[in-house]
Amino acid sequence: MRAFAALTAAFAAVGAALFALAGAMLTYEVVARYFFTAPTIWAAELSQLCLIWGTLLAMAQVLARGRHIAVDAVAAQLPRPVRRLTETLAMAVIAGFAAITAAYGWTIFWDSFERGRTTGSMLDLPAWLAELPVPLGCAVLFVQALISMRDAWAGRWIEAGHGEGER
Amino acid sequence: MTVILILAALFALLLLRVPVAFALGGLGLALLIAGGFSPLMAPQAMLSTLDGFILLAVPLFLLMSNVLLKGGVGADLFAAVQAWVGHWPGGLAVATILSCAIFAAISGSSVATAATIGTVAIPEMIGRGYRKDFVYGLLAAGGTLGILIPPSIPMIVYGFITEESVIALFLAGIGPGLLLVVLFVVFAMLHARFLGGQEAVPAASWSERLRASRRALPSLALAALVIWGIYSGAFTPTEAAAIGFAASLAITGLVLRTLTWKAFRDAAMEAMMTTVAILLIIAGAKIFGKAITLYRIPQEISLFISQTIDTAGAFIVVVAIVLLVMGLVFEALSMVLIMTPVLLPAAMGLGFDPIWFGIFMVVMVECALITPPVGLNLYVIQAVARARMAEVARGVLPFLLLMLVTVGLLYAFPSIALYIPFHL
Repeated sequence: MRAFAALTAAFAAVGAALFALAGAMLTYEVVARYFFTAPTIWAAELSQLCLIWGTLLAMAQVLARGRHIAVDAVAAQLPRPVRRLTETLAMAVIAGFAAITAAYGWTIFWDSFERGRTTGSMLDLPAWLAELPVPLGCAVLFVQALISMRDAWAGRWIEAGHGEGER
Repeated sequence: MTVILILAALFALLLLRVPVAFALGGLGLALLIAGGFSPLMAPQAMLSTLDGFILLAVPLFLLMSNVLLKGGVGADLFAAVQAWVGHWPGGLAVATILSCAIFAAISGSSVATAATIGTVAIPEMIGRGYRKDFVYGLLAAGGTLGILIPPSIPMIVYGFITEESVIALFLAGIGPGLLLVVLFVVFAMLHARFLGGQEAVPAASWSERLRASRRALPSLALAALVIWGIYSGAFTPTEAAAIGFAASLAITGLVLRTLTWKAFRDAAMEAMMTTVAILLIIAGAKIFGKAITLYRIPQEISLFISQTIDTAGAFIVVVAIVLLVMGLVFEALSMVLIMTPVLLPAAMGLGFDPIWFGIFMVVMVECALITPPVGLNLYVIQAVARARMAEVARGVLPFLLLMLVTVGLLYAFPSIALYIPFHL
């Protein structure tokens, strides 16, 4: 279990680093375009991959830290035994969604991988490079949701920080 | 009947505290399976959301805001503005609003704006004898300027889901943003004149003004660069966000030397968490959106609205009331994502411009940010000032009314929003 927590924490750190890396690539792109009149063919595509991988790898850790945005106003009023049920149910919904999406995401990835499909863009990267993180991220999210479900049933859940989302 | 069942299921899931992303995605997936449609649409929708270049601006703008927040630029900005207007009646309040407006031009986030300026302005104002509830309300409301004055994360999201130009939305936010600034400033000065018990602040000398301005100059230059770049078409909103992030690192790391390695790591983790939460809600909304379109729900709601409400004015009043009520319990971005696909077809049928409607939604979202019990900015101010919720909530009331006045003016004079993007 501790190994899994370390894994999701590492994935989250990689996610944060990938976002910062995307910023560096796009800054380089603008500088290259304006100062050297030499736009890159890779910055836009690779920074997009950073966003895809970063988000999907990090989503389990975001769940573990209770940072997914949720509506708390009503649930906070419920008596504790009822809360235990609703919290468990909420995690079950996530587990179900993650399991199905991981399974179907895998078929998309495998199909591209077997056929050797490419993006058809300037870099013409293998299409599965962008598709692999969906099943991977959802599988990790599935395991995290099961852990959080067990915790909720045992009466442990994170009171939301009221989401930091919208911004 | 299906419409009511689906909406009831969605609200039940949300109120039971299923995270918004998974309530939308999970219900969408269930609807796809129940309707005999391929569940492959779920991972595809997730992927196509994250493959949107414009959404790459979300983490980058958040990185920029968080770096500036951790780098403490709020204090410099506030000191500079205060040096110029602090001696006016209600001068500190005016300085607070103007600082919020300037920070809003470098940040796409109302929470970051409220936190950045609140940290410095609240103790200063309370120390000078301003009424607490007024100070809290001012900061909570001033923070919401973050999402109306470009850049703006809700506008990026609105543009993404409606396929409207984010640049046009950004430009359309400037007019209403400035209007709101003027209304807030006038209110603050009247409040200080008639209800205040605050001490006057002595006017700063010219040398003090110049010294304070010089220290705030990098932040001001950054705001100018981001807005100029987007406005002139020199770079896309996403590239502007990247440049802004790089520049914020240069300002706090090299010029002001206030950013430590630990602060940078914290800023990056914070931006990452928020980004993931936001982007997954968009992906969930996309899955849900696909499913309900296959069930023809938006079409039915749009038909129902057009049959029941036939004037544009009545439509806006009804929508504003619905959004205000939803805003009591819903988090702001989720509201945009759930309601836009349902409302926009009907709005366009009644002749509303989609860009105008986007700005209207953003102002309503600003209201949602400061209406208790669930208003993100209220929590921020509560946390920053260690205040009681009741005080903060009481303080925001006049500002909420001013925002609704803005909605009215925006309806009466649509060019407040549309002049800059389409005629300038």
